[in-house]
Amino acid sequence: MTIPTSTGITDMEPAISISGLEFSFGNRPVLKGIELEIPRGIAFGVLGANGAGKTTLVRLLIGRLAPGNGTALIFGQPPGPALADSIGYMPQLNALYESLSVRENLDFFARMLGLSNKDHRSASVDRVMEVVGLSERADSVMAELSGGMRQRVSLGVALVHEPDLLLLDEPTVGLDPELRASFWEHFKKLTEAGTTILISSHTMDDAAHCDTLGFMRDGRFIATGTPDELRQSTGKPDSSLEDAFLHLSRASA
Amino acid sequence: MMSIDRKMAIAARIVKEIRRDRRSVAMIIGAPIIVMALIGFSFQDQKPVLNQVAPALIATMAMFFVFVLTAISFLRERSQGTLERLVSTAVSRSDLLVGYLAGFLLFALIQSIIILSFTLFVIDVEYSGKIWDIVFILLMVTITSVSMGIFVSTFAKNEFQVVQFIPLLITPQIFLSGVILPTSQLPGYFQTLGGAFPLTYANRALHEIMLKGASLSDVSTEIGILVLFALGMLVAAAVTVRKT
Repeated sequence: MTIPTSTGITDMEPAISISGLEFSFGNRPVLKGIELEIPRGIAFGVLGANGAGKTTLVRLLIGRLAPGNGTALIFGQPPGPALADSIGYMPQLNALYESLSVRENLDFFARMLGLSNKDHRSASVDRVMEVVGLSERADSVMAELSGGMRQRVSLGVALVHEPDLLLLDEPTVGLDPELRASFWEHFKKLTEAGTTILISSHTMDDAAHCDTLGFMRDGRFIATGTPDELRQSTGKPDSSLEDAFLHLSRASA
Repeated sequence: MMSIDRKMAIAARIVKEIRRDRRSVAMIIGAPIIVMALIGFSFQDQKPVLNQVAPALIATMAMFFVFVLTAISFLRERSQGTLERLVSTAVSRSDLLVGYLAGFLLFALIQSIIILSFTLFVIDVEYSGKIWDIVFILLMVTITSVSMGIFVSTFAKNEFQVVQFIPLLITPQIFLSGVILPTSQLPGYFQTLGGAFPLTYANRALHEIMLKGASLSDVSTEIGILVLFALGMLVAAAVTVRKT
């Protein structure tokens, strides 16, 4: 029976450290030299327009794509199956089985994540349904659920094995404000408990919730810092994050 | 990483998904019966001809339906993104392949028994040999077919493209493996080409068993070749399974 822990992971290593990372789809460069270090226990927001390379970055981190150049390390290790227990991944697509219920989907992925003990797994699934507020819809099949509910199940799958690192690819797209707030409330609790979260988004509303932000443009990070630092970068008082993003974006063009 | 639990979970999930998809269940059971009934009752006045073609027809049905089901359901795994989520877990190729095989074999077995019972007892095709020997050959056909479905799904981006593989992979097999004409009546180069398809050996084995009362050891060469095809297809499927 395997309870996911930070096996073989020393507390010294940062959650994510990336250097000189490049990646191309064929002849089209998507990532053009990413430098990034994310310490543990924070929510790091990768902000950028569509096509900036956010999803590609996440897919490199889960080991789905192999870097063309440079390195990406998670807890000091290259991405791969050995890290699966430590990472919770929420893809952009909901990626769930339509004819299975909420509980069945969560149970199935929990088993894939190595929670082979039935009692332990069923407790984890109950806990996570509570967290995403779907206990009452446990036996509804996906096809009966609204978009927001499916997204909550998808987040539940990423959380079910209590990973040390969450990689969330645009988890709040299409969520209503109330649901978005409740997602963030939970993310806050997780980081306080030591979980590291990397979250990609293109809305400044998400950005304000993050501890640290990286503005991504055209395959590079053009600026990183806390929301306050980035706001101040415009040199004008009471600039919004949106102003900051546009300012930095133009400066880098 | 080997895991019996993961394989069982994948197999159980497939069974659950198919059972809830009533149309697929209806197709698994109904479609082969309709086709067999159509052929069977058209040949009622020419029993000897029917007896001759029945073995090959049974194998073809078993191969065709399982192939389509597996290819489409694996394609869905890719297109809905669940495969991507799965590979972010510690799931291995063998977990996926064995899980899929086990899940589909259950339906394939049920389907083979239905096709066989209908052919032997309703259309009343004459046969000799042991029924379980026939079922065994059909199972070999299905293992090859499931692996072929997974392999082919790599090359299709959507359901339409999967369907395009039917004229490409299934129809030539039907012709070259002796379903329409006995292979001995085909031109030499077609006989050689037919040797490249698993259905040819399945048909030959079933032919021997059902018409001449051969035992499994009498057709061990054909079984051996079928095993090689099944293994080859499994390896091919394993190589491509993690690609999206």
